[in-house]
Amino acid sequence: MSTTIDPAMNAARPAGRPRSAGNRALGVAKMQLINKWTFLGLPGVILAASFILTLAIWAMIPETATPKYSGAGQAIMWYFFALGLQSMSLTFPFSQGLSISRRNFFLGTVGLFAVVAACIAVLYVVLGYVETASNGWGLNGQMFALGWIAERPWPTQVFFYFVVMMFLFLLGFWGATVYKRWQATGLMTMGISFAVLAVAAVGLVTWQGWWANVWGWIVTLTPLSTGAVVLGLAVVLGIGAYLTLRRATP
Amino acid sequence: MSAVVVEVEKLSRNYRNVKALEDVSLTLQQDKIYGLLGRNGAGKTTLMSILTAQGFASSGDVHVFGEHPYENERILSRICFIRESQKYPDDFKPVHAFKAAALFYRNWDQGLAEQLAEEFQLPMKRRIKKLSRGQLSAVGVIIGLASRAELTFFDEPYLGLDAVARQLFYDRLLADYAEFPRTIVLSSHLIDEVANLLEHVIIIDKGRILIDDDVENIRGSAVNIAGTAARVESFTAGRTVLHREGIGALVSHTVEGALSAAERREAQELGLELGPVSLQQFVIRKTLDAGAPLGAEPPADDAAGLGNGTSARKHARTGATR
Repeated sequence: MSTTIDPAMNAARPAGRPRSAGNRALGVAKMQLINKWTFLGLPGVILAASFILTLAIWAMIPETATPKYSGAGQAIMWYFFALGLQSMSLTFPFSQGLSISRRNFFLGTVGLFAVVAACIAVLYVVLGYVETASNGWGLNGQMFALGWIAERPWPTQVFFYFVVMMFLFLLGFWGATVYKRWQATGLMTMGISFAVLAVAAVGLVTWQGWWANVWGWIVTLTPLSTGAVVLGLAVVLGIGAYLTLRRATP
Repeated sequence: MSAVVVEVEKLSRNYRNVKALEDVSLTLQQDKIYGLLGRNGAGKTTLMSILTAQGFASSGDVHVFGEHPYENERILSRICFIRESQKYPDDFKPVHAFKAAALFYRNWDQGLAEQLAEEFQLPMKRRIKKLSRGQLSAVGVIIGLASRAELTFFDEPYLGLDAVARQLFYDRLLADYAEFPRTIVLSSHLIDEVANLLEHVIIIDKGRILIDDDVENIRGSAVNIAGTAARVESFTAGRTVLHREGIGALVSHTVEGALSAAERREAQELGLELGPVSLQQFVIRKTLDAGAPLGAEPPADDAAGLGNGTSARKHARTGATR
């Protein structure tokens, strides 16, 4: 059959589109970007809005000797948590309708997010340097160049922001996958299990009298070692999300 | 003979305490139009989901283009199944959905998609979330047609479409199929609507396949006999009567099996009227038969005629108005 049909169809098909199966993960990334507003526009707006609003607030606060801090820079990171939820719960069923394998959906979506997260991490660091150089935007403010991180070399800073965003995204993504497979019961079970684990850990530390050691360890944490821990967690989340997705239905 | 596209063997799907599919075996041939017919909840969507690896079987074997479709891009790229309750990304407009489909279907015809959108009067720039039921169906129908996938499923495609749009869909489907033959499965519970499109019919009820046959054979497998009660009764005595209906002294029996030339002549001499049975009537009869409580004796012809007459008639009414 294919021999009789293909010539006519080849004529109709525009050149230069990704066609082979291997490119379908890339296709998923492109599909997520079809509506540019979601992945690029909204984050831009959030970043700009939180930045301008923060500047306005700083301008209203009387000048002091200590710098003015703001957590508004993190707004965008939380948006990516929501995006992880959404890219799973709504785009996954559609990708199934287009007969895209779960593997390629995962690779395309997480891959695209990794690229976006890397770009934003670089942007953060650049803005941090601008902030420092301009004496906190001329207002002695601290929004991007947070002391603990900003004093590190720039690759460490980029790495840190990148893994934090990946972690949040994958947390949302896996949560949505669990919901897709087991609905509210699944999410609740997962949430309670994590809570039990956390309490058990605290209990263990208390029982063994390890608190001094734990605090000692926390104090020595650097952005690099924290980043490594978060990276480990993100990898676990990613593997968990993939394994859950393998048997998810739209 | 054409090649086998889909092969299903002893497929079952159990949800907690429901058997959505039970021991389903079937094959689909290349370049044919199939009707997957049955009532709501009969298992049509479950079956299509498993064939397209969107859903999972509890047991049994599925081969599509000779391989298992699960996570198999080689096979999946040749399949299109937009479900009746298809979800789209929240922020998508039809124009986005078509762009996405174009990314994944080798034979996607953007020109056809745009032409269909115009004919269906689909607002391309309105969020899919805000579309009416009919417009939502149109989005699915357009993706199904324009993707030109070798194996295309249409899941209750006419829901919410008005009469003009439905006719348009049937016309476009046949025209495009003639130009680019492919295997098409139309799932439907409105049978007469799609009857003229179908070459082969698979009737499914409560997860089991009742009938799997060419439309030609099905049409010839039952006949309507109408006339005065006494004459019809005596003529159909000893036959399997699928359905009885009557107004006053006139009755009509639907009888299984074809009539021989001699029998036709006899019927004519008796002044009986012979008529074809619509596919929908046939399906309703068969489905209701199958729905009879398990373990009950299959009603003997005569007894069924008299004893069950009223209940059979009631069934016929509900069936006809549905």
